[in-house]
Amino acid sequence: MAEYILQTENLYYQYPDGTPALNGISVKIEKGKKIALLGLNGAGKTTLFLHFNGLLKPAKGKVLYNGQPIDYKHKNLIDLRKKVGIVFQDPDSQLFAATVKQDISFGPINLDLSEEQVERRVQQALEAVSIVHLQDKPTHFLSYGQKKSVSIADVLAMQPEVIIFDEPTAWLDPSSTKNIMQTFQRINQAGTTIILSTHDVDLAYNWADYIIILKNGNILGEGLPENILADDGFLQEAGLIKPTILEIYSALQANELLKKADVPRNKQDLLKMINEIRI
Amino acid sequence: MILIDKYAYCNKIQGISPMEKVTFSIGTLIICLAVNSLLVDGLVIALMALLLIFYVGIPSKFYCKMMFLPISFLLLGLLGIALDMSSQQSNFVSSLPLGKYYLGFTEQGLHTANILFFRALASVSCLYYLSLTTPIVEIIAVLRKAKMPELFLELMSLIYRFIFVLLETADKIYLAQSSRLGYADLKKSYSSLGHLISNLFIRAFKRSNDLYSALEARGYQGSLRVMEKKYKISSKNIFLIFIWLIILILTANIR
Repeated sequence: MAEYILQTENLYYQYPDGTPALNGISVKIEKGKKIALLGLNGAGKTTLFLHFNGLLKPAKGKVLYNGQPIDYKHKNLIDLRKKVGIVFQDPDSQLFAATVKQDISFGPINLDLSEEQVERRVQQALEAVSIVHLQDKPTHFLSYGQKKSVSIADVLAMQPEVIIFDEPTAWLDPSSTKNIMQTFQRINQAGTTIILSTHDVDLAYNWADYIIILKNGNILGEGLPENILADDGFLQEAGLIKPTILEIYSALQANELLKKADVPRNKQDLLKMINEIRI
Repeated sequence: MILIDKYAYCNKIQGISPMEKVTFSIGTLIICLAVNSLLVDGLVIALMALLLIFYVGIPSKFYCKMMFLPISFLLLGLLGIALDMSSQQSNFVSSLPLGKYYLGFTEQGLHTANILFFRALASVSCLYYLSLTTPIVEIIAVLRKAKMPELFLELMSLIYRFIFVLLETADKIYLAQSSRLGYADLKKSYSSLGHLISNLFIRAFKRSNDLYSALEARGYQGSLRVMEKKYKISSKNIFLIFIWLIILILTANIR
């Protein structure tokens, strides 16, 4: 049976001004998986994330970590935040210290580790996102992409069990996006559950094990990428477009050029299928 | 301001312990203020300039510009000290008649102004030495060792970080406004500037909220502890600093 690291049950939340943000959301995040959360701006992705590590308290409903409901006492929240890390969308609202190394050391120091352990964690995190050369740079000298990398290292250094990335690729150039996605792959292979939100359907399709789609504070649908992102009617309702690879695949199938085969998950798979076509 | 910050991080003596830099500049500053000697002031101004330009590697043009910054303030301020008004012309070295009274310089006034001028410049060059060689982070680290209250130090480091965030935000708003002709004439400029400032306040508030959530997410429990860089204190440098301070004190006694 699948093991769920994070769960929400019938989660309701509204902003202080009364605008409803989440309307009864129940999701299950499987341990060790790569989950993508898709949805338009204002769908409630960030609000849901802030519930995952107890930064927001639901108006109604429950959040469970490892099957246990979150207890909103200060001490327990601190424990939860050691295990569930969030990388925020805007690195400028996350970086507070004057130098890169200092900023990354903040999390491990809060874990009450020894000085050597903090140093080791910081070095590992710097290496994981390939910014060892930036360690002594002041944060305000960095470019946006570099700040983004530091904000990821910030959370990696705490070695949480789940890392949540709020639109990690927004505003990044294609090569930084590629690097960051490769980093995610490595972190995930090391056993960390990863949840990310994005508008980029192609990226989610290539990367995710499981996809959850939000709309107006509700779950519109969830499932395996090749199933959920193939349904045209559903995608239209969600305001999303079909992944390019799936689109080409279905066009090839409609023209009876492809036999029934596995659905391609990335460009390489698709090209291989096309090269094998014999007319 | 930003250039100063840049030099503080990228200069030839980065590797030297901030403790030594602080001892050197603040020690000199204290002696400067405590003794009343033109000779000491002159010595300090000269040594700081030579060190900054040749040892630290600050471009001489930039340093001259920085030294001129306080001069305009100083001259205005000193005018008030040197000028005096009296009904007797004999009190003045040189004077202008103003009705029944005379406005002019007295010998005493000129002397005080002279001393103040050099003392101010000498003190400013001590502080320039500190700010051009030592990043704020390291000054904070030294203050922490000197047992300054933690709250004060955290405020210092947050303010420092957010000066740059605010400057950047203001810059972005300014660009967006001017690209839509927000600063085309004087009236529009005033109105745009007003919007910029009020918007900056709102954004600063929002940012501080965002920062708080981000800190909480990383286990913030009321204190901003971060790792500090380790430096070796060189006994040779400490020795030289003390020699220098002793020379200053001895010079002060030459009359």
